[in-house]
Amino acid sequence: MPPWAAWATILACVAAAVESARPESVTAEQVQAGADIYERNCSPCHGPRMLDPQSAFNLRNFPPDQHDRFVTSVTRGKNQMPPWGDMLKPDDVEALWAYVLNGEK
Amino acid sequence: MKLAISAAAVLLIANAASAQTLDDLKNDGKNTDNVLTYGMGYYQQRYSRLKEIDKTTVKRLVPVWNLSLDNQWGEQAQPIVYNGVMYVTNARATVAIDVGTGKQIWRTPVDWLPETTRVVCCGVSNKGAAIFNGKIYRTTLDAHVVALDAKTGKEVWKQKAAEWKEGYSMTVAPLVAEGVLITGISGAEFGIRGFIDGWDAETGQHLWRRHTIPARGEKGNETWPQDNNAWEIGGGSTWITGSYDPDLGLTYWGIGNPAPWASQSRPGDNLYTSSVLALRPKTGEIEWHYQFTPNDPYDFDACWELILADMDVAGVKRKVMMQLNRNGFLYVLDRANGGLISAKPFEKVNWASEINPESGRPVETEIGQKLRAGEQVEMWPSTRGGKNWPHAAFNPETGLLYANTMHRGGIYKHLPIKERIVGQRYQFIENRPAPVAAGEAIAHVDAIEPLTGKQRWRTPLFDHPHWSAIVATGSGLLFTGKETGEFIAIDADTGKTLWQFQTGSGINAMPITYTHNGRQYVTVLSGIGGLWWNAAREQLKNVPQGGSVWTFALMPE
Repeated sequence: MPPWAAWATILACVAAAVESARPESVTAEQVQAGADIYERNCSPCHGPRMLDPQSAFNLRNFPPDQHDRFVTSVTRGKNQMPPWGDMLKPDDVEALWAYVLNGEK
Repeated sequence: MKLAISAAAVLLIANAASAQTLDDLKNDGKNTDNVLTYGMGYYQQRYSRLKEIDKTTVKRLVPVWNLSLDNQWGEQAQPIVYNGVMYVTNARATVAIDVGTGKQIWRTPVDWLPETTRVVCCGVSNKGAAIFNGKIYRTTLDAHVVALDAKTGKEVWKQKAAEWKEGYSMTVAPLVAEGVLITGISGAEFGIRGFIDGWDAETGQHLWRRHTIPARGEKGNETWPQDNNAWEIGGGSTWITGSYDPDLGLTYWGIGNPAPWASQSRPGDNLYTSSVLALRPKTGEIEWHYQFTPNDPYDFDACWELILADMDVAGVKRKVMMQLNRNGFLYVLDRANGGLISAKPFEKVNWASEINPESGRPVETEIGQKLRAGEQVEMWPSTRGGKNWPHAAFNPETGLLYANTMHRGGIYKHLPIKERIVGQRYQFIENRPAPVAAGEAIAHVDAIEPLTGKQRWRTPLFDHPHWSAIVATGSGLLFTGKETGEFIAIDADTGKTLWQFQTGSGINAMPITYTHNGRQYVTVLSGIGGLWWNAAREQLKNVPQGGSVWTFALMPE
């Protein structure tokens, strides 16, 4: 398989992952799992239930079409936010994304 | 004989070169050229008898130098000054500076993994260094204790106090007492079991560890449930440097809140959380304890500075300890035995009606009952306290405390407690600021009578609380700083601001004053960071980050 083909496969997988995390396809379990992770690890800065994010990005305003930006920020850290990639598995980050988009609607 | 004299001379020279003996530390403040201890003296009064800068001359106070600290994480430290060299710490480096010129002499970086900040609840910072026998001591964010050569900045020894991945971190400035280097720990928000460590200052050898929660079988463990492991993950951080009484041979450390903040899993008083411990510096043995907030469900961390003074109480000279506790009460204790002398509210308090003078325990209102029953309450003070860590000053001449206090309630609720996951938050609460009534101040600068809690004066603040320590001088001035960058001098008799200077970033640190070549200097670190910046970043968006040291003196007439 030439390198470009490998990349195409990877991109297709990423696209599928993005697809599966869209609001219409998330499960209640996923949102609840995200809510649990959020409450424990994220709410101290981003505010309880994403209310009063005094210090940090207001996640209720996170652009819903920027899934990859969300995943990268959580995994690698951004500004004052530490990286979480060694602690939260990809499924956890997707659950968080599901919660951010759907959890408090 | 000649030989003996030479040997004595050599000894003297060696002594002068290494210096910062235990006597130097004990007498800190008497030689005004040096600032050798946290709090400007073991008593942590943050008082200097210097008078050159006074209410009249302060208008001629100007910067003599500024040095960048090349740090975005915020500056909270108190500088140490010895023989014309200043030692400054932040989370990223230790820096030595020539006091006369402001030039950097050496800079020793501190490195830690970016993930470390996950276990730092309230601001990536460092509160300062200790100095003893030619070495500079500091703690690191990833929970190590380091000794550096004061001349070169080179590492002499480094010891790991705890594993950051388990929720432990360090920002505390060390204390040297009786030759023992004493350090605390942070991490109650991650379910650690807190402690205080004693180290051999020379070699770094670990001498003792006093856990702030007694183990099974030790006295005090009976105040924790006996049918679960709450005591092993029960918090009790020690993140502010203790004070020390050389005559009584006791060091006093405030102990932080229990974990988790929600209290369902830990019925009982939960010793020694939200308490003060009086310890023997050489062994860590507990002489006495006093608990301010039993079974604390409020985050009423008791780490704040414990100010020591010798004070007239009803006509009798008493050796006292004072604390403006986070829970809104000002405590005066007998520091020989921990007996309660008085406890009066210094801010609005609705969680307790009083501190019972006989039992020393708070008389809780229905707020505590509702909170423990899972209801949402409006609590005064909020979890941030009637005062947060920015340290107060005490002027032994006026007998008054000067403090940056806070006037804010919180909308607060416990959540169901889940299993602890190592290295993750362990709090289980919802915590939001209560709305502020129109025209009501959110904070003050206060002059407070220790035994009554009454304000002699109070200056309201409407934009941001001051998140800087205060220094009081013999000339009736107070120095402190604002989150918006102004370093200010206040008239200690009226609360009026007499002078200010914009330092270019926010001030959340600890000023000092001292002399250099016969002139009075004032130094403060500027560099926004810490808890209030976290809380108010949107309102502070026009206050840029970036740490630096500012030093001021009077412009000659």
